[in-house]
Amino acid sequence: MIFADMTAYRASGHMARVAIVGGGVAGITIARKLAGRGIPCVLFEAGGEEVTEESQDFYRGSTVGDQYFDLDVSRLRYLGGSSNHWAGWCRVLDTYDFEPKSWIPNSGWPIRRADIEPFLDETRAILGLREFVATRPLTDHFGHMDLIKSDAVRFGTKYRDELDTSRSIAVVLNTSVLELTGNGRAVTGAKLFSAGAPAGDFSAPYFVVATGGLENSRLLLWSNAQSNGAVVPNAKALGRYWMEHPMYWSGNAYITNRDALEFDHEGEVFMIPTPAAMAERETCNFHIQLETMPYHGTKRMIAELACYAPSFTEWVSSAVDMHLQCSARVHIDWEQPPVESNHVALSATERDAAGVPRIELHWKKGELDRRTLVESMRLFGEDLARRDIGRVQISDWVLNGEDWPTDMELAGNHHMGGTRMGTDPSTSVVDADCRVHGMENLYVAGSSIFSTAGQCTPTTTITALSLRLADHLTRTVAA
Amino acid sequence: MTGVKSPRMNRRRLITALLLALPAYAFLSRIRPTRHDDIVEVDGWILKRSDLA
Repeated sequence: MIFADMTAYRASGHMARVAIVGGGVAGITIARKLAGRGIPCVLFEAGGEEVTEESQDFYRGSTVGDQYFDLDVSRLRYLGGSSNHWAGWCRVLDTYDFEPKSWIPNSGWPIRRADIEPFLDETRAILGLREFVATRPLTDHFGHMDLIKSDAVRFGTKYRDELDTSRSIAVVLNTSVLELTGNGRAVTGAKLFSAGAPAGDFSAPYFVVATGGLENSRLLLWSNAQSNGAVVPNAKALGRYWMEHPMYWSGNAYITNRDALEFDHEGEVFMIPTPAAMAERETCNFHIQLETMPYHGTKRMIAELACYAPSFTEWVSSAVDMHLQCSARVHIDWEQPPVESNHVALSATERDAAGVPRIELHWKKGELDRRTLVESMRLFGEDLARRDIGRVQISDWVLNGEDWPTDMELAGNHHMGGTRMGTDPSTSVVDADCRVHGMENLYVAGSSIFSTAGQCTPTTTITALSLRLADHLTRTVAA
Repeated sequence: MTGVKSPRMNRRRLITALLLALPAYAFLSRIRPTRHDDIVEVDGWILKRSDLA
């Protein structure tokens, strides 16, 4: 069932066992799974069925530190959430990603990859994916990574009819949770804002916060501020250890043996380091994206020369009316380490139309980010040369430790951390079951629970973790 | 029109010849597989020492 607002929902008489806040990838996945087990749930979606400027305005915020995207552009606030502008690249965090590393402070999850593997077949069915293929060795330190460039599933579109015809799921559009209320042991209710106005309180036996990798922190921070810490009793880590996947064009490559590389249909090659390589160089996880240009003849010669002598090549290119860049660019996309100072905070001065403080995101890359970038390029260059696959040139700004470029891609729009999973309440917010430490009935879903970021796009892992949480909730609610 | 060279094609041929004569391109064409794996870093390039021979 889909309702336009709370007034319509209340008139239906629907009784929910689980209230899910947020109708994106995590929220819709959990609702569908619960409904499949016969558990009635309500799903509050702050936006409608289409993007609007009015709804996106609630996502405006500011960033302190490194340059970042506008927060109201980096995510979407309508049914389906940010799956509506997702690129569709899929991969699951690797076994290695869940393990602690001595050189990365605060690394390691309380669960292992084996804990989400039982849900991967269902994840693939939801996202329309083939089987993942194991990493194929390329050099001593690198392998070809299986990255599935899928037809991105828009969750609001794909599952709209199923949600509408379901008798167990009630989707309430244009309805957000302003704050949760609690008593330090359990959530007792939620204050709602629907169709542009306060819409009273709502209660349910269980609550799942699934509003996205920035909003989850915002909602819980504001709820805690309003309730004197009665919603997240252990709040030291709340909003903190926020992470992204920084990505930069970090150098060029001159490829001498294309046959050694596995190019995808877009002429790109994706490679990941072995765990031993990361341990040897003490880096975070990362992947190399080699982007090649399908040039031939004179064009190819000029493009190859552009790798070596860019300024001169620019002049040559203009002489023949061709604007060519180096024939192979090397992009690095890496796992940002979980650092306490990178955090989501509530603005002291700016509020949205419902009166909730806007986000002030504190985000800065640090020494381990620099190290990962430089060492990943060196390691890749050394391996390509040793195997006579090609030669790599590291960009000057990378080698010289210059300011981060502002004219490149920057990051992946992947919002992770803030309510991270862990066993220690001083460095985490939720436990291995995604339940907020110390709270009986409050759960968090989505990439905000990531303990570490890994190197791959998060949506596939978000889906698997959401299915796992729904499975846990099914047993908990039935007990 | 078969066999007629356009000015654009002639210019490309000239450019190709110029490129092959460039020291930079000569460097690229010198990169050949060798058994040596002694790695050096020159101006950001990660090379085998044999590339510089």
